[in-house]
Amino acid sequence: METTPYSQLHVLKNDWWLLSCISWIPILLSVSVWWTLSQGIARDLPFGIVDLDKSTLSAQLVRILDATPTLATHEAYVDIQEAKSALIEGKIYGYAVIPSDYMRNIYRNNPPQVSVFYNSQFVLIGKLINSAVQQAHGTFNTQISVLQNLAKGNQPISLAVGKTVTIKNQITPLFNQNSNYAQFLLTAVVPALWQIVIIVSTILVLSANFRIYGAKNFLCLHPFWLTFRIAGAYIPFYLMFGFAFLAWFYLGLKWPFHGELLALLYAQFLTTVACVVMGSFFFVLTLDTARAMSFAGAFTAPSFAFMGVTFPVTDMSNIASTWRSLLPISHYIEAHISQSSYGVTVMQTINQISIDMARYIFPLLLLIPLYKKHRRAWQIQK
Amino acid sequence: MTIFRLFTSEVKAVLSNPIILLTVLGGVVFYSFLYPLPYSHQTPVEQKVTVVNLDKSRTSFQLERMVDATPQVQLVNRASSIDEAKDRFLSGEVNGILVIPEHFYRDLLQGKSPSLSFAGDAAYFLVYGTIVEGLASASGTLAAQVKVASLLAQGEPISTAFTHYSASNLNIKPTFNPEIGYLSYVVPAVFILILQQTLIMGVGILSGTQKYGVGYWSSIPTLKLVFMRSTTFVAIYYLLAMYYFGFSFNYYQIHRLADPLILLALLAPFLYTSSFIGIILGNVLPRRELVTVVALFSSMPLIFCSGFIWPLEAIPEPVIWISQLFPSTLAIQAMLKTNQMGAAFDQVISLWELMWAQFCFWGMWAIMFDRKYRLKTKY
Repeated sequence: METTPYSQLHVLKNDWWLLSCISWIPILLSVSVWWTLSQGIARDLPFGIVDLDKSTLSAQLVRILDATPTLATHEAYVDIQEAKSALIEGKIYGYAVIPSDYMRNIYRNNPPQVSVFYNSQFVLIGKLINSAVQQAHGTFNTQISVLQNLAKGNQPISLAVGKTVTIKNQITPLFNQNSNYAQFLLTAVVPALWQIVIIVSTILVLSANFRIYGAKNFLCLHPFWLTFRIAGAYIPFYLMFGFAFLAWFYLGLKWPFHGELLALLYAQFLTTVACVVMGSFFFVLTLDTARAMSFAGAFTAPSFAFMGVTFPVTDMSNIASTWRSLLPISHYIEAHISQSSYGVTVMQTINQISIDMARYIFPLLLLIPLYKKHRRAWQIQK
Repeated sequence: MTIFRLFTSEVKAVLSNPIILLTVLGGVVFYSFLYPLPYSHQTPVEQKVTVVNLDKSRTSFQLERMVDATPQVQLVNRASSIDEAKDRFLSGEVNGILVIPEHFYRDLLQGKSPSLSFAGDAAYFLVYGTIVEGLASASGTLAAQVKVASLLAQGEPISTAFTHYSASNLNIKPTFNPEIGYLSYVVPAVFILILQQTLIMGVGILSGTQKYGVGYWSSIPTLKLVFMRSTTFVAIYYLLAMYYFGFSFNYYQIHRLADPLILLALLAPFLYTSSFIGIILGNVLPRRELVTVVALFSSMPLIFCSGFIWPLEAIPEPVIWISQLFPSTLAIQAMLKTNQMGAAFDQVISLWELMWAQFCFWGMWAIMFDRKYRLKTKY
């Protein structure tokens, strides 16, 4: 029995869940998140109007609001109370109150005030509403002022516009030209899922081998090298997934890519090894799969929040950035974004990621004393 | 066995299982500190921007000062050319570039509307939005100043010139999260998911541990065990939920607008349904650690379809139907409405009814799976 090679084909045949973890589950997870966000750009968010003036000018403002891609103003409310409760119930994401005598005050050159309340509990949706309303109101103001200037006569339309819009802003979003939400989130979500899959699969692999080939056989030989051989045998699978999501992003979904594939593949290889090390470490810590899984969960589940894509790293506290530096995927995502967007040189990425991943030698070396401890405990038991 | 004896045995089983303690108590407390950690500064401020000033007029320097004075943007340096600014941007030294064009001052005075150009990394939405917001507010202020100055030059009195630079004024108010803090945005929703996932793991591990063994549970009929097991966990989780929605929210200064009774009412179907799912997973999965695996894998898809990150209107219909099967989706929506936005109970009653529908749906499956998988001795 001792000399039997640890056939992983046999293990996979016996453990349907392990097989699933390295086959359809990561695909299903990634596709389900992509499907959820697939619209990419939030359009026609319901927006309420409380028009207390009901004049041609207030109707014009409403039309401009409705014409923005972000807002759709089908909801009209008779009073503020009604709009407010619709906002609370989540039927609308914001509402504008156009005061009575709005038109009269504009004509009298006594600027009236439009009040807009938007739901900022949903921060990212709120920001979209905010900028759409600002933009629409700016357009409305410009239209009115240009007309006023033209009415005074004696000036061409370009000067009338120049007098109204004194400064023009040209805003260029780099690397994500149409502010596509799916691109923004999936760049982080899919690698985060990838990390979870690698760590969980590593634990399942080791536990399956323990179960099928016996803990005794495992511990009596050279467990450290055995762990290498067994857990390492799955690295090609993980790399395949890594390559697959790169192909999906940059060939399938055609997101812009300015970097070198070679550097990213190197980064993926080191990330995979680091995750396998962490998975093995969690398992060997107690040799109890359920406990290892709890550790793995605590370690990987919040990693999306720490990656620094949704919330900038520069605004994280020191403890947060320390925890962040423990997660393999946060080093990977830095390499990934610096390659895909910034197009840094291959050597820069290779140097950086090699230094970052060197820290995982420490948990790797910890495996040796841990195995020694378990062997001793096992012999006492015998 | 009396109901009370069964309850104490269940509590004992939970307390004597180190893995459940680690997952439930350890997980809940650990996450309550870990999850809000990245967001403790609430809003990103003072993002680094470089400026390319090709005009070098007094007004352009004034604009630079105004940009630097906004809380969102910090001008770290001046670049002499666009290429230099680009290099600094690509090396990660700055997050955005502001270009003030040549003849900016002259064009401004001549009414030719010069263009200010901003560029930022839109791959990071929050950073990009912050920079654009800061730059736009500074350029808006300068534009207003220029307009007021020209009104004054045309002979308007100063008292009216300040109000007349635009035809209509906009007063835009962020509601429910007035400081637009990221912590108040993420934490209330994520905490509900954490409660659900750790609860499923706890119940699942207990059921998974017991189903092949013999013990106090072997002689308990299905209905009684399912009911008492979920009640035990619901009781434990009521305490943990109080810790989350009481202590933690207070600690992180997150709104607590809902009446505690409403929270308790909403938690009841949510916690029961989650326990049922735990019982099902514990019974149907061959090994108990797989419950944790399922909970771990499902977290991300569940959080993205719950409607607080991405608007429900933009999520494909089939995803919405599937997501409504899971307690966290409805609980997040109901809790955000009541606790964060101050909805009254009758405004979430339809969600509450749906939550009880989930209770019935998953309850039936829990009973079926317990009948099928748990070994029972004669009772």
